[in-house]
Amino acid sequence: MNAATSDDTAVLLHRCAGGDRAAFRLLYDRWGSRLYGIALRITRQPALAADALHDAFLQIWQQARRYDPARGGAEAWMVGMVRYRALDIVRRQAREIPGYEPEEREDGSPDALARLVSTTEGAALHRCLKELEEERRRLVVMAFVDGLSHSELAVQLRLPLGTVKSWIRRSLMQLRGCLAS
Amino acid sequence: MSGEQDRDLLAAEYVLGSLEGDERREAERLLSVDPAFAHSVSAWQQRLTPLAAQVAPAAPPADLWRRIERGIAPAATVAISPFRRRARFWQATTAGALAIAAALAAFMVLRQPEQTRVALLAPLAGGPPVLMARVERGDGLVVRPTTSIAVPTDKDLELWALPQGETKPRSLGVLPPSGRQLTAQLAPGTQLMVSLEPKGGSPTGQPTGPVLYGGWLTNIEIPRG
Repeated sequence: MNAATSDDTAVLLHRCAGGDRAAFRLLYDRWGSRLYGIALRITRQPALAADALHDAFLQIWQQARRYDPARGGAEAWMVGMVRYRALDIVRRQAREIPGYEPEEREDGSPDALARLVSTTEGAALHRCLKELEEERRRLVVMAFVDGLSHSELAVQLRLPLGTVKSWIRRSLMQLRGCLAS
Repeated sequence: MSGEQDRDLLAAEYVLGSLEGDERREAERLLSVDPAFAHSVSAWQQRLTPLAAQVAPAAPPADLWRRIERGIAPAATVAISPFRRRARFWQATTAGALAIAAALAAFMVLRQPEQTRVALLAPLAGGPPVLMARVERGDGLVVRPTTSIAVPTDKDLELWALPQGETKPRSLGVLPPSGRQLTAQLAPGTQLMVSLEPKGGSPTGQPTGPVLYGGWLTNIEIPRG
């Protein structure tokens, strides 16, 4: 997503804040597929992904007035809306289904990070992720993209839970430092 | 490591999505009450969101837009069928929503079918609703928390109403974390919000602290079941 499109989204959000339903429809047309893809990747079930997208868009409509461009890009705001709803759904599922264990899933392709390079922020993140050891980088990417919790990551990668937690924390600190430089 | 760095790390893990259980609930709580934490969350969203570009888009179900459209717009009436009371709009995806569902269910049982207005107030930085407001008997407003809200001892929460089309919110007074009942004429489409203010409320008559939660009053219709 380039900066111009993100700006357009900010404009649409501003119009939504004023109650403009046509702008809301445009927002859905523009973002629906991308956000649904993100929700589907996390929930792995179309019905749950649809619930996440539904709830996210209602929240986007209700809170459009709160979107503050000074506090960050519209893309991060929109993506955050759907990710937190999808994560709510899968965390609740994990809690409510006794013995629930995430299914095994395939690794991302080795060049999965290549798409990051298409934006300036993405290129910086890509550079900083590459500075992490490979296994730690995988943890970070799987947590964000697949929505796996600490304990799910531990099962998936056959690592002790404490190791997962400390590797993630160190990786995040390292990313923060690298991105600030 | 300082407390501030710990908090920033918790914000990072929250955005990453790897938190679960108590840690996740603590992050959600902080997001609701701690503006500095909310700021950290925004900053981490900026840092990590490019990762989402890796995920392939997928076409949402064809009927989803209609479902969303039914749920929005204060002017619209959201009809809750008596046989399908788990109406999705209220079936939010959070633990807090259970309390809301319970409140609505009790409301449906105790009251004759009628139209009323409710608002779910959620943290602006994202997260589940923390307060539910319901109009009663035309000019009464009942505001109840759906989760426990921690307020710093030297601060108060203040409730505001912003009618549609207006730019300056009107104070509805200080809001104890346990909720409150008050009298106010509020039209559908009015936005309710809660800000963090000095003890006793805003000294200026307008919000001076960060606005923490917000939501719109929406008509709902509860038919005879």
